[in-house]
Amino acid sequence: MPTDQESSTISLNTSKVHLNPNSHNKLNGHQRNESSNSRSYSFLDYYGAESPPQISSGSTTIKKINGLDTESESIDPSTSLDVLDLKDDTLCADGDVINNSKSLDSEHRENYIQPINMASKSEILKSNFDRYGFKKGSTLHNITMEDYNEWFNIYSDSELRQLKKWHLLMKHHGFQIEENNNEEYIPTRFPPRSDKVKKMIRKGIPSSWRGNAWFFYAGGYDKLNKNTGVYEKIVANTRGIKNKDTEVIERDLNRTFPDNIYFNSNLSNNTDLKEEPNLIKSLRRVLIAFAHYQPQIGYCQSLNFLAGLLLIFMTEERTFWMLVILTEKIIPKVHSQNLEGVHTDQGVLILCIKEYIPSLWNILGKNFDGEPLEEDKILIRLPPITLVTSSWFMSLFVGILPIETVLRIWDILWYEGSKTIFRFSLTIFKLCLDSPDFQMNSQNGSSETEQIELFQFMQSFPKKLLDSNLLIDCCFKKIGGYGFGSLSQDEINRCRSFVSKQREKINQKNKNKSLTEMTDEEKTLIGNDIHDIYGFNRSIMSGMVWNKNIRKKLSSHKKK
Amino acid sequence: MSSRKKTLLKVIILGDSGVGKTSLMQQFVNNKFSHQYKATIGADFLTKEITIDNNKQVTLQIWDTAGQERFQSLGVAFYRGADCCVLCFDVTNEKSLNNLTSWKDEFLVQSNVSNPQDFPFIVIGNKIDVDDSKKIPSLQKKLNNITNNQLGGLNYPVFETSAKDSINVESAFEVIAKMALQQEELNAANSNDVNDDYNDAINIHLDSESGGCGC
Repeated sequence: MPTDQESSTISLNTSKVHLNPNSHNKLNGHQRNESSNSRSYSFLDYYGAESPPQISSGSTTIKKINGLDTESESIDPSTSLDVLDLKDDTLCADGDVINNSKSLDSEHRENYIQPINMASKSEILKSNFDRYGFKKGSTLHNITMEDYNEWFNIYSDSELRQLKKWHLLMKHHGFQIEENNNEEYIPTRFPPRSDKVKKMIRKGIPSSWRGNAWFFYAGGYDKLNKNTGVYEKIVANTRGIKNKDTEVIERDLNRTFPDNIYFNSNLSNNTDLKEEPNLIKSLRRVLIAFAHYQPQIGYCQSLNFLAGLLLIFMTEERTFWMLVILTEKIIPKVHSQNLEGVHTDQGVLILCIKEYIPSLWNILGKNFDGEPLEEDKILIRLPPITLVTSSWFMSLFVGILPIETVLRIWDILWYEGSKTIFRFSLTIFKLCLDSPDFQMNSQNGSSETEQIELFQFMQSFPKKLLDSNLLIDCCFKKIGGYGFGSLSQDEINRCRSFVSKQREKINQKNKNKSLTEMTDEEKTLIGNDIHDIYGFNRSIMSGMVWNKNIRKKLSSHKKK
Repeated sequence: MSSRKKTLLKVIILGDSGVGKTSLMQQFVNNKFSHQYKATIGADFLTKEITIDNNKQVTLQIWDTAGQERFQSLGVAFYRGADCCVLCFDVTNEKSLNNLTSWKDEFLVQSNVSNPQDFPFIVIGNKIDVDDSKKIPSLQKKLNNITNNQLGGLNYPVFETSAKDSINVESAFEVIAKMALQQEELNAANSNDVNDDYNDAINIHLDSESGGCGC
């Protein structure tokens, strides 16, 4: 039997936002339904003019799905405040007290932000925040609000055209598109895989469809159906636990998207009461549940970015299963305790560079005294640049590239798999080499200076790649692009298994202290048949046309 | 050999996740503080030119690292060739203080420095702006205990800083630069007999004494 104290705690957990009189009704679920149909949604008032652009009827940019339950409205703010204070001292907000809050809690967990396509462009242009709640301009991203708006102005038009094409595709596959004036059509099922669908996905999934489409194509429904109620159970079992993982998770929660209004209440204009945002609570539950479910991974920094971005597009439960799919199937072992997958994939990436971007290899394939690295040393001593690129693999470009660019890559990644990460990593490198800025800097320096310069450049260069269409065209187009679409998953898989075998040997050697290098057989192979040994199909790529105009494109892009 | 490096001093900042390594670096290099730093994955560096002693110009290359333990397996490469190592803890987090010793040990194992006994380390306790009630109880005593007994009693300089309010950051890095310069000069003097192949690549735990193997 819950005591009075307990029940007020329970309600508080789902109702913190209501403590603020201004926001009292505005975040409320049933209120929202009313308002979103009839008038401009006043959530905007709560966050003030700086908030993300909000709904004008039928053109929602952000809406709360299943808002907060009504039950919690009845709380007396004064009692709630006391409980709040208590909770500040114990990091785990959902303490042991709450055992019977499941239903409230689970309803709460259905909350997520859903960006809507039919956004009125002017609303977005006016706001300081983008459709997903991220600050548009930031010194950390080197992009100003003006840059953003200029790009978005054009991009949003192409997005609308793309949306129409998606509608056609859906109809073509016999999906019924129920559209009324107020509710945007958001499918939950999608056409089966085909070249046409792949092409459409590379051109971008409509923002509001993303969560569903990613989940569908990544095999989320399979996972979910086989594991009904599992997430719920884990959450119940892990509520309030404290261990090494939860400690790091707690520290990372507010360091995940500090530039997003849904993850950082300080960004709102309302300074009276800073509630812990719902998405932070969700993030906590998902990460703790995941660490519990995959003990061989536990919590690894960077999972917070992945879960955080997923939470903007889907529910906690789905976010959880997407993390599971990612770490089981797409980039296995990348987040494991010893980060073995990171080492392997960085080795593969370096071999890809050697194979497909010789000009970059000319810089990377040397030690700092300018002596070329021997073939059999490549995997033993990975170039320093892999310190930069390993975070690309771990965070899947979140925080590395501008958010819309990340989303476009994620569209492709969940559909096409891990080769996508390699393809785009190579594309970013190539764009970097073709960038006029880089060219100017790196003239007649020593090998060390060159590599350090490259390192520094690679830290900042991707942050400016706002033009996602340019990046994707460069990646896939054979004419007018780099044609990295020819790098196949099969190649990557073979190369991965080569690298991981080599690393196993290295580890063995370390144990045995007998320094046999590659076998003699492998060494002779390296001389003449290197592609077989690494598993590459260069012949496929050799037909590609390298476009000299990309540098021009980049510089004109920059001037804009 | 050493003129090639134009007195580039390499400084590594280590410490538990969330102690403020990124903030310290940003405050020193860019004179700014933000609540908006994200958790560091992998490693970053920034450079800053400063003048120390008698108009001696040096470039500090400051490496900011990921604090979570498992990232150590990635980062070992840039430990090499370091001229000074900054061990950071958070004055409100006792565990981060207790971990200083393992950070030091890890550094010495991976960096392969020629003089582990007197390699320059400096200890920084960050976040002194935080309310006293949240600070580690009897911090001084615990800190002394650690520097004397566990960090080898080598009198490492200790600074208490606030990256947020820019307290002591500048002076800490001034000392860092001086110590790093000494170390650099020492390395330069030894560079004839030590083949200093520092950070030419990431060393993934393999002794590369394979020069003589039958090719």
